[in-house]
Amino acid sequence: MTQPRIAAFARLANGDVAPNRLITGQNTLLGRTIHGLAYDPTRDEIVVPNALADAVLVFRAAAAGSEHPLRVIQGPRTELVTPHAVSLDLQNREILVASLTGRRINVFRWDANGDAAPVRVIKGPKTELGHVVGLAVDPDRNLLAVANTREILIFNRRDDGDVAPRGRIAGPKTGIIDEPWQMEFYKGRIFLAASNHFHQNLYDGVTLRPEAKVVPDDPWLNPILGFMGIWNITDNGDVAPLAMIRGSFSGLIHPVGLALNPKDGEVYVSDSVRNGVLSFLVPQFFPQENPTSNPDGRQAK
Amino acid sequence: MIKKLAAACALGFVLLATLATLGRAAPQESKSSKPAPEDIPPIRMIADPYPAFNGIAVDAANGVVAMSDPNRKSLLLYDRARASQGGASRGEASLPMRQIVGPDTFLGMIAGIILDPRRQEIYTANNDIEDTVVVMPYGASGNVKPARVFSVPHQAWGLALSDVADQIAVTVEVQNTIVFYRRQVKGVEAPVRIIRGPDSGLADPHGIYWDESHNEIGVANHGNFRGVVKNTGGGCAPSFVVEDDAEAGESRPPSIRIFAAGAKDDVRPLRVIQGARTGLDWPMGIAYDPQHDAIVVANNGDSSILIFGRTSNGDVAPLGVIRGDRTGISHPMGIAVDAQNGEMWVSNWGDHSALAFASGARGNVAPKRIIRSAPAGMPTPGFGNPMALAYDSKRDELLVPN
Repeated sequence: MTQPRIAAFARLANGDVAPNRLITGQNTLLGRTIHGLAYDPTRDEIVVPNALADAVLVFRAAAAGSEHPLRVIQGPRTELVTPHAVSLDLQNREILVASLTGRRINVFRWDANGDAAPVRVIKGPKTELGHVVGLAVDPDRNLLAVANTREILIFNRRDDGDVAPRGRIAGPKTGIIDEPWQMEFYKGRIFLAASNHFHQNLYDGVTLRPEAKVVPDDPWLNPILGFMGIWNITDNGDVAPLAMIRGSFSGLIHPVGLALNPKDGEVYVSDSVRNGVLSFLVPQFFPQENPTSNPDGRQAK
Repeated sequence: MIKKLAAACALGFVLLATLATLGRAAPQESKSSKPAPEDIPPIRMIADPYPAFNGIAVDAANGVVAMSDPNRKSLLLYDRARASQGGASRGEASLPMRQIVGPDTFLGMIAGIILDPRRQEIYTANNDIEDTVVVMPYGASGNVKPARVFSVPHQAWGLALSDVADQIAVTVEVQNTIVFYRRQVKGVEAPVRIIRGPDSGLADPHGIYWDESHNEIGVANHGNFRGVVKNTGGGCAPSFVVEDDAEAGESRPPSIRIFAAGAKDDVRPLRVIQGARTGLDWPMGIAYDPQHDAIVVANNGDSSILIFGRTSNGDVAPLGVIRGDRTGISHPMGIAVDAQNGEMWVSNWGDHSALAFASGARGNVAPKRIIRSAPAGMPTPGFGNPMALAYDSKRDELLVPN
């Protein structure tokens, strides 16, 4: 993002339009790295990470201008390490935080504030967590889906510490190549912005890696285009998406941001190459029935 | 009738898409010219078709003012003196001398920009995952390969060049660092030195200037600080090193930190401008004005330009402020000083414009000249690689961090 801010646009906005309002300015404590934010309809709040200050900020949803957050989760007890994306588990009233360089998922109570300890932290070599961005909870099956490096990992929702994932959606049939991004959940289904930009970083911090020899190609020019894909959260293995949006007519190149509006049957996707937000009318993606209703998490037949 | 047809078309799309979802198939490229079933057109798209200015640089000797444009991912060069000609003062878009744009250019979410008048080169920093600084000749136009590209740590923002030191300085946000390279750097080269560490006080550094006459560099900081200063990973850059320890992040007040130009490692700044009196509010671009021995700051948060004395130190009020409805300043990102012509240039992120003020201007004053990348009044979505979304179901709004 170029300017630290949150812009609110009318859902029906189309074309070259200005936002209805901006949350921006020093008092907001926002930073210029936000890779996942969430709206909480039950409390009418917006939850936003600040990766550059190891913080999670909670605003009233109607905030405007240089408005201070209602709550700030920040400090040594939080165990936050470059948090860059957040998701909400509304049913269990928890905030889930993805940490990239920390390779961890911190879980906080919805009302955590200040130097608050997480209620759970998933981290360690068994977890296989790497490039973590999107997180999505299925509260009925108590499952947690994670957009990770080149795959989707599935954990038990209450997992804590160094635990192995219970499932994995990965492989050529999935179409996920590199850095899957924002993820949402609706009635047993995972919605994923599979960006497929191919990012190579030559530095660890500010130290050049010894093996670095050549400037990589522009990651946004990766010819393998991204897509928006849907899986059942109980899928496991090399499974093709249940449905997807992809191709030249879709306008998607390397989609990253994702939001759902089941009531109007719409999916919203942001694309960094387009520098735009695209709206798709896809009511068929929002089944009324839960497609995977087995409580033990196995896929329904 | 039209509404009925539109509804029928929409229903048709829905039916086709529904059929497409009945069977599972791996997401392969279609070889047919007919759209694949999953190739669903959007019903709406918010995007800005015009260039949006981030950084700005001016070269009086060659009569050029240049801007970085992370929206359309381009560089634009304008005639400095003819800026308002062609109708910009009447609200029409200005015609650039040249625009560098296209897939061969390596230009992405570019931020800081500087000009090298002697060698007639443009430098601009890719702030996102390109992790590069791109160097173009003044004469470049269209979809051209850069003269040079060099790798930098993730989240490079500000640039400053010194002929005396023959070095280029690059600020790196998430690492709270300034990295220095030899001026001729190309490809993959290690920095020749860095400034970083707790004593430096760097916290989310952005704009930087190099004052050769006083052998100093100045850096604008937003104040975001990751607690413990670690030399690993960061931002959206994957790392092979796991950061196990909590970092105790802080949201510090914004600051301007002045260092000796030859400083390196964990060094204390010579002076620090920081505190409630300063009025600093997300300082972005920063420049030194030799004519007035002043530091000028693009104060993004409150849409103003702040002017401090070069030797200002501590919690001090600015010597002057340019702010108000007559100025046309709207969330400024870049600032550049043309000492030869007694002007300072400001690039607006909140509007498709760049403004030239007399360098002694203060208060609510109109600019001398305007460059517009779009007709006046065109809306500005303001996207810069929007990497996340949320839907506010109560207000029926899309929330876009950008």
